[in-house]
Amino acid sequence: MRALCWEGVGKLTVRDVPEPQIRAEGDIIVRVRASSVCGSDLHLINGYLPAMRKGDILGHEFMGEVMETGPGVRRHRVGDRVVVGSVVACGGCWYCRTEQYSLCDNSNPQPVFTEKLWGHSPAGILGYSHAAGGYSGSHAEYIRVPFGDIGAFAVPDGVPDDSVVFASDAMPTGWMAADFCGLSGGEVVAVWGAGGVGQMAARSAQLLGAERVIMIDRFPDRLKTATERIGVETINYAETDVLEALRELTAGRGPDACIEAVGMESHDVGPTYAYDRVKQAARLQTDRPTSVRQAIMACRKGGTVSIVGVYAGLVDKFPLGAAMNKALVLRMGQMHAQRYIPMLLDRLAAGEIDPGYLATHPLSLEQGAQGYELFEKKEDGCLRSVLHP
Amino acid sequence: MTNNGTRWALLGVTAATAVGVGRAVARRRHRHQPERQDGWYVVRRGVTVDRSRDEVIGFWTDRERLDRALAGWATLQQLDERRWRCVARDRAGGETQWRAEITVEGAGTLTWRVEDGPMPQLGRIELAEAPQGRGTEIRAELRYRSGPVRRLAGLVGGDEPDLALRDALRRVKALIECGQVVDTREDPSGRSPAQEKATDNMREKLMTGGRA
Repeated sequence: MRALCWEGVGKLTVRDVPEPQIRAEGDIIVRVRASSVCGSDLHLINGYLPAMRKGDILGHEFMGEVMETGPGVRRHRVGDRVVVGSVVACGGCWYCRTEQYSLCDNSNPQPVFTEKLWGHSPAGILGYSHAAGGYSGSHAEYIRVPFGDIGAFAVPDGVPDDSVVFASDAMPTGWMAADFCGLSGGEVVAVWGAGGVGQMAARSAQLLGAERVIMIDRFPDRLKTATERIGVETINYAETDVLEALRELTAGRGPDACIEAVGMESHDVGPTYAYDRVKQAARLQTDRPTSVRQAIMACRKGGTVSIVGVYAGLVDKFPLGAAMNKALVLRMGQMHAQRYIPMLLDRLAAGEIDPGYLATHPLSLEQGAQGYELFEKKEDGCLRSVLHP
Repeated sequence: MTNNGTRWALLGVTAATAVGVGRAVARRRHRHQPERQDGWYVVRRGVTVDRSRDEVIGFWTDRERLDRALAGWATLQQLDERRWRCVARDRAGGETQWRAEITVEGAGTLTWRVEDGPMPQLGRIELAEAPQGRGTEIRAELRYRSGPVRRLAGLVGGDEPDLALRDALRRVKALIECGQVVDTREDPSGRSPAQEKATDNMREKLMTGGRA
């Protein structure tokens, strides 16, 4: 089969690779119909997330059709149209039992690296480096999905592939970001990053009761899309002082909750950003926490900062004093896909959320490298490239 | 031009740094050494399984299920009431076998003794109820005879009783909780056979040992 492989920092190539096989009773093989690029893939491609190996197949946000099932699979049959959560969960450990699927104890077969780096190993993730288990990804014609009964979900009829593909990752990540905020109705929520996850977080915050959502980014086309599609207020940080603008927009209080949907390669203007770039390039810090710093500084006293942008290791100049003395609640994590996907599919079918507009660039697998370039450089109004192998 | 004073100062700073780093490394190494008792290395490892104690015991006593779970990894053969023969296989086709004498000392406690295997061992496992309904804690204590050089070689080569104990506990937890030990070694990739072999070697290092 054909697959988009990582060949070194910044290099992607389509190669002929062997087809995946059923390896365990609960496995399913899915023929990939749509596989989206994701901002966290950029961290892998650019060498910021560790443990990539030449030849690894990328891709973790996808949907498709069941082609083969292991003998232990009960919920799916050949031909089912399914969306698959990118986080792999066994369904049998304490974390899965308590619906904290991204912390599954048993789904990362290579846990030593993350145990040394983070103290414990969270769940494995499809197509997400050897730190996350070394699973093959979805930018391929076929993919093996372990624990198929737990991780794959039948898709409602009538919802197009290029919408439902985002129920794999961007939608549950966005929903979890808003869920972390503990909204009860009437809050002001600020969202850093107007990419796919940020826009889904903004829409989720609205559905969970936020009265106002303010999005922060520097790309006018993304901010315009967010305004038109979701009805949010926007701040362009390249033109405006974000902290001052947020204080003014909330009459001095600050947002009740701040969602960070940017991650370790966040961008800013000014000398602090230059300092972060130098430190990251010299490997003196792994991540650039610009937007996390802003979120903590902007958040109202006693508010919540919700972090779903991906971070890998160490950051510098983390404003712990602000977080402590303002009594902030900090919540963060990889999304618990399996907890949220069924509910999100219902909302998709009901038309409450429609992420289809994120798929600005439907491309073939052979155009995968081009898709990532468009996505990384934010060219041609690219919100997401979606590959159709 | 550097004068003698500067040279002596640099030498002093270098020496002080070297001594400091050396002491820190020695202290760290000491903290990571297993306990020694009467010539035995002693390690204690534990893992929490999200099942009741009866279900954990049931896993060991349901022979058919145990054999199915161990298939491809090891085979067990009961020689008499207490003695068992175990053959463990590695992916390269190699086999290691040993005979163990296993004694059940009451509900949830057993000990084992290996005298004719690659390394003499004494082991003890206790099952205890985990707090807050978290299932069962499997607490293992392993004593084995080895020397510093042999132990170091084992750690480097991934063939050392403490690493094996941690692997075994993690495998047991996975088998009880979800019926399989996940493995991604056969997943497709765009690697050449040589690159795949190098990647498999790295995988082994990321699979071996760990926290359990």
